Amino acid sequence: MIPTFRILVLLLVAVPLLSAAVVPLFGRAARRAALVLALLQAGLTAAVVLVALPVLNQRGESMMPDTPGRARPIQRFVPEFVPGDPGYRGNPDSSTHRTGWTLLSFGDGPADRPGPRVQFYVGVDGLNVWLVALCSLMMLAAILVSWEAVADRPGPFYGWLFVLQAGAVGAFLSFDLILFYAFFELTLIPSFFLIGRWGNGPGRRDAARKFFLYTLGGSLLTLVGLVGVVLTNPLPDGRVTFALPDLMAAVQQRTGGPGSAGLQAGLFACLVAGFLVKVPVWPLHTWMPAAYREAPIGVTILLSALLAKLGTFGLLRIVLPLMADAAVEYGLYGRAVIGVLAGVGIVYGALCAYAQRDIKMMVAYGSLSHLGFLVLGLLAFNTEGVGGAALHMVNHGVSTGALFALLAFLLDRYRTTDMRAFGGLMGRFPRFAVLAFVVCLASIGLPGLNNFVSEMLMMAGLFDPRAGGGRVPGFAVVAAAGIFLSAWYVLTMLRRVFFGPPAEPPAVAGGPVPDIDGREGVALGGLAAVCLLLGLFPQVVLDPMEADVAVVAAIGDAARDRVEGPAPKGYVPPAPRRFRAPDPPPAGGGGGLPPPPFPEPAD
Amino acid sequence: MNPLSDPAVQQTLTGVFRLAVPEIVLLGTACLAFLVGPFVPGRRLWFGAALAAVAGAMAAAVLDTPPPPELPAAASLLADPAAGFVRWLALASAAVFLLVTWPEVGRGFAAEYYGCLLVAVAGVSLTGRANDLVTLFLALELLSIPTYVLLYLPAQARPNQEAAAKYFLLSVLSSALLLFGFSYLYGLTGTTNLTAIVDTLTKANAQSPSPLALLAAVLVVAALGFRVTAVPFHFYAPDVYEGAPAGVAAQLAFLPKVAGFVALARVLGLLVADPRHQPFPADTQLPLLLWVLAVLTMSVGNVMALLQDNFRRLMAYSSVAHGGYLLIGLVVAGSLPDARGPVEVGGMDAVLVYLAAYGAMTVGAFAVVLYLGTPDRPVEGVDDLAGLGESYPVTAGCLAVFLFSLIGLPLTAGFAGKLLLFVGAFEAPADTPSMTHLYRTLAVIAAVNSAVGAYYYLRVVGVMYLRSPVRPPADSGALPTKLAVLALAAATVVFGVYPDPLVRAARQAAPVPAATQPAVN
Repeated sequence: MIPTFRILVLLLVAVPLLSAAVVPLFGRAARRAALVLALLQAGLTAAVVLVALPVLNQRGESMMPDTPGRARPIQRFVPEFVPGDPGYRGNPDSSTHRTGWTLLSFGDGPADRPGPRVQFYVGVDGLNVWLVALCSLMMLAAILVSWEAVADRPGPFYGWLFVLQAGAVGAFLSFDLILFYAFFELTLIPSFFLIGRWGNGPGRRDAARKFFLYTLGGSLLTLVGLVGVVLTNPLPDGRVTFALPDLMAAVQQRTGGPGSAGLQAGLFACLVAGFLVKVPVWPLHTWMPAAYREAPIGVTILLSALLAKLGTFGLLRIVLPLMADAAVEYGLYGRAVIGVLAGVGIVYGALCAYAQRDIKMMVAYGSLSHLGFLVLGLLAFNTEGVGGAALHMVNHGVSTGALFALLAFLLDRYRTTDMRAFGGLMGRFPRFAVLAFVVCLASIGLPGLNNFVSEMLMMAGLFDPRAGGGRVPGFAVVAAAGIFLSAWYVLTMLRRVFFGPPAEPPAVAGGPVPDIDGREGVALGGLAAVCLLLGLFPQVVLDPMEADVAVVAAIGDAARDRVEGPAPKGYVPPAPRRFRAPDPPPAGGGGGLPPPPFPEPAD
Repeated sequence: MNPLSDPAVQQTLTGVFRLAVPEIVLLGTACLAFLVGPFVPGRRLWFGAALAAVAGAMAAAVLDTPPPPELPAAASLLADPAAGFVRWLALASAAVFLLVTWPEVGRGFAAEYYGCLLVAVAGVSLTGRANDLVTLFLALELLSIPTYVLLYLPAQARPNQEAAAKYFLLSVLSSALLLFGFSYLYGLTGTTNLTAIVDTLTKANAQSPSPLALLAAVLVVAALGFRVTAVPFHFYAPDVYEGAPAGVAAQLAFLPKVAGFVALARVLGLLVADPRHQPFPADTQLPLLLWVLAVLTMSVGNVMALLQDNFRRLMAYSSVAHGGYLLIGLVVAGSLPDARGPVEVGGMDAVLVYLAAYGAMTVGAFAVVLYLGTPDRPVEGVDDLAGLGESYPVTAGCLAVFLFSLIGLPLTAGFAGKLLLFVGAFEAPADTPSMTHLYRTLAVIAAVNSAVGAYYYLRVVGVMYLRSPVRPPADSGALPTKLAVLALAAATVVFGVYPDPLVRAARQAAPVPAATQPAVN
């Protein structure tokens, strides 16, 4: 049964790519075809999630407390259901969590010690399973929202949307650094065409170009950083590896070894550049207002819900595990460069959001503010911060995507989202108003709705008392101010648009302007319901990621001890529980695959 | 016994001709074309003959694998894997060029055009196997001389003549420089055989670098710098590419680059069985010179390309910039003597991969220009491509693939090449006294340059897809060209998604033997 699901994981990437090739053939009927294919992908995702959950939950339950005094075990991610796993061959228990599918090899070697190679190494773990689900969900929302809005060449439009989805899903699933980078960059091409060809205003070409070049510039530096990290951290036998789990182990074994501080700082700067641009983090956000403003609303949903997550996910999946010391040093705890940038971004984004007249831009700047908080949570680098941030990636994706989806309602009817033109919509569109309230309150972080849980977790992570100088509570204060400010600008918007004297701009179509119809009801109601469900049952999401969050947090603890010294007196950290990777099968039984280079130290 | 009657010498000297059978097939067909062509005109006839010659050369290359010369130090031709790689690259490009240039070959000069093309390709292939200063020089001239004719043949307008004259004068100058450098090499070592020269210089320079040898190397680098359009020897490129017929410009963008880089690698001793022993290691400062050339070439090429409105001038500067990326490979190869531990990318393998990728994307871009232009309405400015996405979706899609590959986006062959170069540059040892940190700086500079380069390529993509057609270009309707465009686009994508076969072939051609010193880790 298990091998079947490896094929499903492969299909998660393949189906959007195939859909992208097929959809344009349908011409005017492309939107129906796109919806069917997106539903197919959603079903596929649901199947993968349902199969993966028991496995991932079990990993969380099998964690055991650390033995004090023992050397820390090596922490690494363990992907499940890896397509091309040579250990399977009819025996589900012999999974090696590795793949044999090589795309590019850098050197020849004997079969048991292959040279460095780039592999098609994808798999599911607790960190990416929900993000893949988010991709499928937001894709459905984007298609439904674009239903009426995109009448011009719908075939290519939906085709590019699927390419965008494929890039995002592929990047989330990748466990090979170069493969991750390839998918990460693949998202640029569809975004360029989607913004440039189907954008709203006259500035769409410039916006598309700016987005492409800005992001590409950052990610080329990231590529240099990736190559640098790989080459400066060879395995103990001298080979280099692009596989993330092996590389994490190599990094942990070599910490404190060769490599000057200057080199580490340079590599870290290169590595984070692309991710910070993609998130975006102030002051690298300047591509964002134009891109979000000019993009058609369905694309804005995907940009904010998925592409921004690629940046934060890159920080979580790659930067934190591979450059933990630098992430501590330049994150929140030492020189705190990135923390300060993110903190400034929180306040700056919130103030900008308040100043906007266009609701779309308000949401865009609000997203900048929330993402700054998310980055802070990641950089706190402890169980609460990282877990909260991993959860917040999903929550923020749903709630910000839902906010943009709400705007599609107004755009379809009035072709404007200028809040000065609206007033008293509460009485005019009662059903729309209810959904808008739910989504807006969710984005503020009202208890019972999704963002509350993740923001509280991240806040708890920011109060970690181990950092010196009391600076980290300072970040927590900034983050709290961000939440407060977000309530301020969102509620102001709600007051202006939904209350007060009725006002509405001239409608696009003649005749009475209808309230939410069935299609919009499904899209908006569905997203609002997800916001509510995520707020009520966050543990369903948190449980599967527990083991993987523990991996990152353990790396963070070790790095903090190295950079900051041991914890201050009087502070007793909670006894951390560690996820132990399942013991790989002995060499020789797995069909020519090398034994993993890092056997776990025996207890 | 008389050493000259040694059977090994005999075998080496007589066996040399069998090493060049495919090239002889090409040259023979070309001679036939030159002799008979004036009396028997006809485009299809000579197109078929040239295609048959290329097919015959490929068949000969597959069927006849003669034994390698027993005494490389006496042989004027080599048959090492690198020579094989270059030969296949040249033959494949010959087939592509035959298809691509279909629209611009007139009935009156078809025999001469295809003859020149075959000679030039044979020249590139021979450059790959030349093991003697004389053979190397002759092979390079075999490439240059037909190019002068090709520049004149298809059209006789003023800009064409300017391009031809400019290229002729500068090419002759570079040949003279090359000969001057070769004369020093001969004077220092007393032989014209490259294997012997590299051996002698390696041993001599290991004791103390010889200034004269270095002077010779600098002259050779300068002379071949013309061929690979390295800054500051690039300035003919934009004018020539703009004035030349598009098909010839495509050949100029590719063939001299291949020949130039392979010749440089041969003379500098980078394409030998053990590149860990080189005549010009880092302490001779020659790698530093190449480093400076690489940085200048890519930066100047990219910055100048930003300013261009003419698509061919843009492609000319783009080809300059890519020459700079390729030079990174030579710099990396020059670091091998200092390498410790296993080496993943030796430099020359990256150069070979990048050359193949570069050929596909650049020739493809020129082929699109040729396909869309007609003699009275050639595609000149970037604006001529406006709205191409609507008027010619398939052709525009292919050009977009080539441009994305030139940017170096993943899933295209350009990315695989750039990745190898980045890895190579990052891996080169950083703690040598002469090149501290310079290699890693080079990787960062290359990354920044790629980002700059993206601007002007993306501008073309934007013009094609985001603007409505102003003046849709007329379709030349040349089926062979279209076929070539599609094939090149397919190759760009296939080698981007699955580059392993290409990379393996290149590594076989330019192997890096395992470390002689134990890994220090």
